[in-house]
Amino acid sequence: MGRVIGIDLGTTNSCVAVMENGQPTVIPNAGGYKTTPSMFAISQDGKRLVGHLAKRQAITNARNTVYASKRLIGRRFDAPEVQKAIDLCPYEIVRGPNDDPRVRIGEKTFTCPELSALILREMKRVAEEHLGEPVRDAVITVPAYFNDTQRQCTKDAGKIAGLEVLRIINEPTAAALAYGFGKKREEKIAVYDLGGGTFDISILELGSGVLEVLATGGNTFLGGEDFDRRLVAHLLERFQEAEGIDLRADAMALQRLKDAAEKAKCDLSTRDVTEINLPFVASDARGPRHLNLEVTRETLEGLVDDIVRQTIKIVESCLNDAGLTREQIDQVVLVGGQTRMPLVQNLVTELFGKRPHKGVNPDEVVAVGAAIQGEALLSEDKNLLLLDVTPLSLGIATFGGHFAKLIERNTTVPVRKGHIFTTTRDNQSAVKIRVLQGESETASENDLLGEFVLSGIRPARKGEPEIEVSFDIDANGIVSVSARDLATGKEQSIQVNATGTLSDEEIQRIIDENELYEVQLKE
Amino acid sequence: MQLGGQGSGEARVPQLAPGCDPARLPLSPAEGYLLSRIDGRTPWSLLRQIGGLPAGEVDRCLERWVSEGVLVVDGSASKPNPRPSKEEEGSAAERPAAEAAPGAAQASSGSLPTDESLEIPVEAQERILEFEKRLKRPYHEILGVPVNADMKAVKRAYFELSKEYHPDRYFRRKIGPFAPLLARIFKRVVEAYELLSDPATRAEVQRNAVEPPSPAAAAANEKAPAERKKKLPPLHLHAPQLRALAERKAKAKGFFETGMAAFKQGRWREAAASVRLAIAFDPWNEAVKEAFGEVQYKANEERAEQLLKEANANLDLRRVAEALPLFEEALHYRPQDPEVNHTTARLAWLAADDLKKAKEYATRACELRPEVSSYRRTLGQIYKAAGLIANARRELEAALRIDPKDAEAKQELRSLPKK
Repeated sequence: MGRVIGIDLGTTNSCVAVMENGQPTVIPNAGGYKTTPSMFAISQDGKRLVGHLAKRQAITNARNTVYASKRLIGRRFDAPEVQKAIDLCPYEIVRGPNDDPRVRIGEKTFTCPELSALILREMKRVAEEHLGEPVRDAVITVPAYFNDTQRQCTKDAGKIAGLEVLRIINEPTAAALAYGFGKKREEKIAVYDLGGGTFDISILELGSGVLEVLATGGNTFLGGEDFDRRLVAHLLERFQEAEGIDLRADAMALQRLKDAAEKAKCDLSTRDVTEINLPFVASDARGPRHLNLEVTRETLEGLVDDIVRQTIKIVESCLNDAGLTREQIDQVVLVGGQTRMPLVQNLVTELFGKRPHKGVNPDEVVAVGAAIQGEALLSEDKNLLLLDVTPLSLGIATFGGHFAKLIERNTTVPVRKGHIFTTTRDNQSAVKIRVLQGESETASENDLLGEFVLSGIRPARKGEPEIEVSFDIDANGIVSVSARDLATGKEQSIQVNATGTLSDEEIQRIIDENELYEVQLKE
Repeated sequence: MQLGGQGSGEARVPQLAPGCDPARLPLSPAEGYLLSRIDGRTPWSLLRQIGGLPAGEVDRCLERWVSEGVLVVDGSASKPNPRPSKEEEGSAAERPAAEAAPGAAQASSGSLPTDESLEIPVEAQERILEFEKRLKRPYHEILGVPVNADMKAVKRAYFELSKEYHPDRYFRRKIGPFAPLLARIFKRVVEAYELLSDPATRAEVQRNAVEPPSPAAAAANEKAPAERKKKLPPLHLHAPQLRALAERKAKAKGFFETGMAAFKQGRWREAAASVRLAIAFDPWNEAVKEAFGEVQYKANEERAEQLLKEANANLDLRRVAEALPLFEEALHYRPQDPEVNHTTARLAWLAADDLKKAKEYATRACELRPEVSSYRRTLGQIYKAAGLIANARRELEAALRIDPKDAEAKQELRSLPKK
C-alpha cells in the first residue's frame, strides 16, 4: 500500500500532510514553509510558477498571476460570485464553452479544475520529495458549503494532477478529525473556520473513536480577504485625504497595498499598532509620493467588527440546527489564519463561554485531518471512523413548484430514505420525478440533478395512488432515486451522477497537455 | 433450522415457516382462527388459552402443523434478544420487504456463505450475516438497546455499530457480496438511530415497538384466516409512515400553538378553529382535546355576545321579528343563561306567537333561576295565552309568593277565568 496524503486546498494557502509512524506530519516545501500560496503564474519569459515563486513576482506580473481561483471553481460564469471576482482580480476571467469561468494568461486559457490541479500537483511533488517515493492516493478538503459541482470539479482537479482522490471531506470536519485523533473522550466539538475566502462552522460529536458531524453552516463569501479589502479601502481613503491621489485605478499600487494590508493585519494580531510603508507608490507633479501610515488594532477592529459578528450569528443558527445550546459544546477548535485575530478569539470565547482549544495550528490542522482520514480509510485497524453528512438537501419537485426534501442536509451517509407521494389529477397514469438539490422551498431555485417518469399508474381518483419515492446515497456520495407504485409494484429509477464543468475527454486532454509541461520543467 | 424447538414447552414460540402460504391450507374455520393467532411472538402455552379450541386440540393442531412444515418453533422469542435468533428468518420472509435492496442481499438470508478468499475476516462475515437477519426487528432491537433506552445509550450503541458496519471499514477491500449487505445494514442502523434520537419520532417508535399484535385485540375483529393475514398489524411501522405520523403531529402542534396564541389574545373563535384542526391532525393527543373544551367555551361565549348585541340592537329598533332568531341562536351557544331564555320566551310568545317554544324557554329560565318572579309571571302569561288556565294560575301564584308586590302578576291572576 502506498502512502496517502491529505491536502488542504485553500483559497489563499495550501498545505499537505501525511501519517508517519502513526503520527500526522505536516510536510514543509522546499523553502521550509509548511504552507504554500495557492498561486500560479506564467512569468515574462514563459515559465510556469507555482506557490511562493508565483507569489514573489505577483506584484510585478499581476496580470499573469492567478490567486484565489477556488472562488471560481464549479460556478457558472454568470454567477454573481464570478462577476465580483472579475471586478476585483487583476487577471483576466473569460467565459468557457460550458459557461464556466476560465482564466486567460497570454495565449493560454485555463479551466478552474486545471488551476487547482496545478496547486495539487505542487503539493503532491512536495510530499513525494519528502517521502522519497511516488504518491498516488489523496484525501482533499473543501469548504462544507461546496455543492456537488464544486466537489466534483475538485475531484477532477485531483485527477488532472495525477492523484487518486479517495474522498473529498469538509475542511471543518478534517479539523475536528485532527483534534479528535487519539482521544477517547465523549465530546461535542465546534469548529470555527475563518479562512481567507470562506467561513465555515461545524458542530461534531466525538465518542469512542467515532466522529459524527451534527451540523454545518457557513458563508462562502466571508473570510480574511474581506478584512484585507476593508483595510485597503481605509488606506486608500486616508492616502487620498493626505495626498489627493486616488490609487483605485492603479493595479500595481493596489497589489502593493493589498500585500501591505495583509501583513499589517497579521502584525496587529500580536501588536497594538503597526506601520505601513510603501515608498514611491505614486507620483504627481510634485514628484514621487510615498504612503506612510500608522494603523492601530483598534482601527482595524472597528473596520471589521460587523464581519466578525456576522460569523457569530451563523454559529448560533448552526447550534440550533444541531439541537444544542452553546453551553453543551465541550471544545472549540479554531481553524484558518484569520482566527489568530484577537477580536475573533474574544468574540468566540464570549459566545461559548470558554477559551478555544490551543493545541492545533490553525493553518495546518485541516491538512492533518485529511491525512488522518486517508489513513483511516486504508489502514487495517480502524481506530477512527468519520460519520460524514450530505452538505445539501435532496428531494423532488412537487405540485405547485414546491420542493419536497427527502434527505435533509446534514444527514449521515450512506443513507436511504423514502416518502409516499400521490397524484394530483383524476386518472393520472404517470408522474414525473424531478430530482433536486438545494435549500430553497421553491423547486426552480434548486439545482436539477436529473428526472424520470413513472408510468402505468392504475386509474384512480386524485390523491388515491401511493407512490413511494426513495433516495439512496452511498458512502462515496453517489445518489440513486427510485419511484414505486405501491399498488402495481411498478418501479423506475435513475442514478444521479455529480458532474463537474469538464467532460472526461477534456480532463484527459488537460492531463496529456500537462505531461508535456512536466517534461518541459525537468529540462 | 430446528424443528420442534429446543426450548421447554412453556416458552416455545411457533411461527409460520418461511414461504408457507396459510391461505392454501385446507383448514376448518376453527383451525384457521388458531393459525391466525400465530404471530411469532405468542408462546405455545398462551396459544392453548387463546386459540379458541380446547388445549388438547391446540396441541394436536400445532404438532401436526410443525410435522407438516407449516410451522417452525423456537424457544427464544419471549425476551428481546440482542443476538439474532433463528426465528428471524421466518418473520423476515413473512413480511413484505421494506426495501428494494440489491438482489443478492434479499435472497441472502442465511444462504450467503462465508468466503475465506474475501478481505474480510470470516468471523466478521458471520456477524454481518447474523445482523442482517434482525434488520426487520423493531428499531431498538436493531440498536441492541432496551426500548426505553435514553439518548446517551442510543448514541453509544449507534457509534459502536457504526464502527463495525460502516462501509468505510472495508474501504477498497474485496468484500464481494458483503458490500451491498453492509450498506443495507448501516442504512438501517442510521434509520434506527435517527428515529430513536429525534424527539419528534422517538415516542411513536417506542409505542410501536412495545405494542406487539395483542391476541386479545386481534380476537375482537375476527376474520377468515386468509383475509386476516393482510390485516395483521405490522410488527412496526416503517420509517416513512413514522415520519408521516411525526409530520402530522408537528402540524397539529403548529395549529395548537397558533390556537393558543389566538386564545391568549382573546380571539376565541379563531382559537377554536385552530384547535379543531389540531385535533383533526392528531386525534390521539389528550392534552389538545382538554384544551379544546375551554377554547370552545370561550369561542361560544364570544359568538353569543355578538349575537345578543345584534339582537338587542334590533329590539331597540323594534324589529322584533329579526331579533327572535338571533336570540335563539345565542341560546344555542349559551343555553344556561336564564335572562336570554326569558327574553327569547317573551319574543316567541309576543312576536311569533309560538307558544310551544315560548313555554320551553320560559320553563328553562324558571328552572335556572326559580327565585325570579318575573320569569314565573312570564311562564304564567304564556300558559294563559295557551288556555292552560290551571297552569297559568299556579305560576302566577308562585310569582306572587316570591314577590307579593308584583302588580302585573296580580292583575294577570285576577283576569284569569274563575275556577
